[in-house]
Amino acid sequence: MCTGRVDPALVADAFVNGADGVLVIGCYFGDCHYISGNYMAKHKLDMASEMLAYAGLNPVRLQFRNLSSAEGARFAQHNTEFVGQIKEIGPLGTGDKIGMPKLKEQLEIAHKALAGPKLRWVVGKKPVFIEEGKGNKYGEVFTQHEIGRTLSGIIVDEMATQSIMAALEKKPAAIKDLAKELEIPAPDALKYVLALKRRGFVELDGVEGTSPIYKFKSAEGGRC
Amino acid sequence: MAEQKVLILSAGAAGIQAALAEAAAGNKVYVAEHFPSFGGERIPQDKIITDGDAFTSPDLAAFKSNEDIEFLRNADVQSLVSENGQFKAKIHCRTPRVDPEKCDDCGKCITVCPIHMYDDYNEGLEWRTAVDFFDSGTGYYNVFKEDMPVCQRTCPINLPIRTYVGYIADGKYAESLAAIREKLPFPLSIGRICPHPCEEECNRQYKDEPISICFLKRFVADYEINNNIEPRLHLPEENYTEKIAIIGAGPSGLTCAYHLARFGYQNITVYEALPEPGGMFRVGIPEYRLPAHILAKEIEFITKHGVEIKCGVRIGQDISFDEIKENHDAVLIAIGAHKGTSIRVKNEDAEGVFAGIDLLREVNLGREFPISKGKAIVVGGGNVAMDVARVPLRIGFEESNILYRRTRKEMPASPWEVEAAEDEGVKFHFLTAPQEVVVKDGKAVGMKCLKMELGEPDERGRRKPVPIEGSEFVMDADAIFGAIGQVTDNTIVDEKYGFKFGRKLNFEVNPETFETNVEGVFASGDAATGPNIAVRACAGGKTAAESIHKYLRGK
Repeated sequence: MCTGRVDPALVADAFVNGADGVLVIGCYFGDCHYISGNYMAKHKLDMASEMLAYAGLNPVRLQFRNLSSAEGARFAQHNTEFVGQIKEIGPLGTGDKIGMPKLKEQLEIAHKALAGPKLRWVVGKKPVFIEEGKGNKYGEVFTQHEIGRTLSGIIVDEMATQSIMAALEKKPAAIKDLAKELEIPAPDALKYVLALKRRGFVELDGVEGTSPIYKFKSAEGGRC
Repeated sequence: MAEQKVLILSAGAAGIQAALAEAAAGNKVYVAEHFPSFGGERIPQDKIITDGDAFTSPDLAAFKSNEDIEFLRNADVQSLVSENGQFKAKIHCRTPRVDPEKCDDCGKCITVCPIHMYDDYNEGLEWRTAVDFFDSGTGYYNVFKEDMPVCQRTCPINLPIRTYVGYIADGKYAESLAAIREKLPFPLSIGRICPHPCEEECNRQYKDEPISICFLKRFVADYEINNNIEPRLHLPEENYTEKIAIIGAGPSGLTCAYHLARFGYQNITVYEALPEPGGMFRVGIPEYRLPAHILAKEIEFITKHGVEIKCGVRIGQDISFDEIKENHDAVLIAIGAHKGTSIRVKNEDAEGVFAGIDLLREVNLGREFPISKGKAIVVGGGNVAMDVARVPLRIGFEESNILYRRTRKEMPASPWEVEAAEDEGVKFHFLTAPQEVVVKDGKAVGMKCLKMELGEPDERGRRKPVPIEGSEFVMDADAIFGAIGQVTDNTIVDEKYGFKFGRKLNFEVNPETFETNVEGVFASGDAATGPNIAVRACAGGKTAAESIHKYLRGK
């Protein structure tokens, strides 16, 4: 399989199911049979790595390396080295920003975000947007820095959004409870929930006292 | 009566009512609105039930369904000319970025749009996405594209700061420099001397400190010369043969020449009175802030585009303005403001009293200054005064004193310039007003000063200095420099043209086009705006180049 087809959600899935490390090995840059597959892999895995690190994973656990299919000895060397590094930090939940079982929950949320359309669309457009002479439909080329900043913003947003969705899926809740449970500042939680409501992911369940209660509506979203 | 076409600008409450009235009168109505939907500003909550200010939904419904009304959204009027009793309007409709023909209204764009932004419709209660379901009237989607970033908006020449700083972050230095040079041919010089108003606005300062926009520009430009990279030239596709004269090879004049050359004009002549080009860059800024060989590099870059610079040609002395105007299709006056304002005290014409700007010029051109030792007094508190105060110490004076009427807080000079001057040993005398030059044998030997205290704030909010009675004292001096402002030397043009002049003897121009009241003559830079920062002069030069291009092509 070409590394260009390694979906960030697949990687997250591995960690959710208890993998202690994921090593993705692709061809050398410039050697790709499909021309840009390994570049695509790099963009996707960079994003996945940032996302998972934000969720609490030690970024050493996800690595991207280059190798030719004729280099058996180097393949072994890469593996030994990687396994050594993972052994050093220990199993999942040790040496990470947060421990188990919280980490697993966070990884599940990250998995949902990575599987969602938003990050895929942006990361898929990234190589075109930063290539000189291409850019978007209007010929506007962006700097790596600008795209990176946008992606980092989306990662923060998506983690919050997905954790709110996951919490609401379990049971309807008011903003202040959500904010407390998920440790998101209440004004931000309100904005996230209203944005979700507007895009058709959540809806109003009722009013309890003076607080509106929101509930999960659909994972697909809908018309606004 | 034949059907008339009526154009209404902006579809706010009044615009919609006017449109309905005109349509009822049997006219075809076009309504141009800057925003993507009609309605203008949302109805203020406290005004829902008032007079004609607030509009009501029946108007909106009638507006939408009226076939005689055509609504142009995202539209700005670019020009409006009247011809034979008719108006001709040029309207620029910004693209809504969603093709209504192809859009099948699936709504997925809103679901996946990654950009969240302040929702002005709901006063920030929630976030909106960049693509938004804006126009319930037409059902069209609209992509909101951010206006210029705040730094770029603050920059007089609107340098694409986010782009070039982003390129530097990416390590693409050549692209970064090319982005700067799209607008500004002086990254080396401006990167050294700009007081960078952009950094004062930078949003990053609310987090820690602003991005060093100015020095990043210097860095990327220095990178090119330090690595001996040949700068890329932008060669025009079309060529024009009109002759253009630019008077003054300063920041503004050279920027104008650079942009005209990029448009394709091949006969551009820049006339410079001083023996070397560069204008205030060369003679108004001390060598230690902007070395002459650095400036020379940038001027060389401009001349490579096919601009001819004739130095040592003073208009009115070596060649008359009439002759220039006659022989050229367009003329730009960019002579700057090189005449120091008098300090307005008694005996100010005594020997030993100079304009600070003259000191800078003579020293920068490597000429001998008549006095080069003893004590110097500098009157003024701006950035020029800081430069004027530092130079004497470098040419042999033992002491340099700055007199300023108010306190340090009120000083218009940039704080870092004041600090640098202080570090160099310049002595500051605040709340000290010059009264009279003390003269002995026709020579200035000192300045009689008066101590002040701050009184009530004036209409501009600056506290007015009030003299303390009986506090006169004399400060010894061998040379006195006035640095309280400059004016333009407007004697190069004859009165017969009827040029209008402003308060700083600057040429009065149309602020949009920089054209003077004389046809075919433009003015930019300090000569048009009065003394101002260099990058504003460059911005003026660029605008003037665009206007000259339009003027010559529209002929």
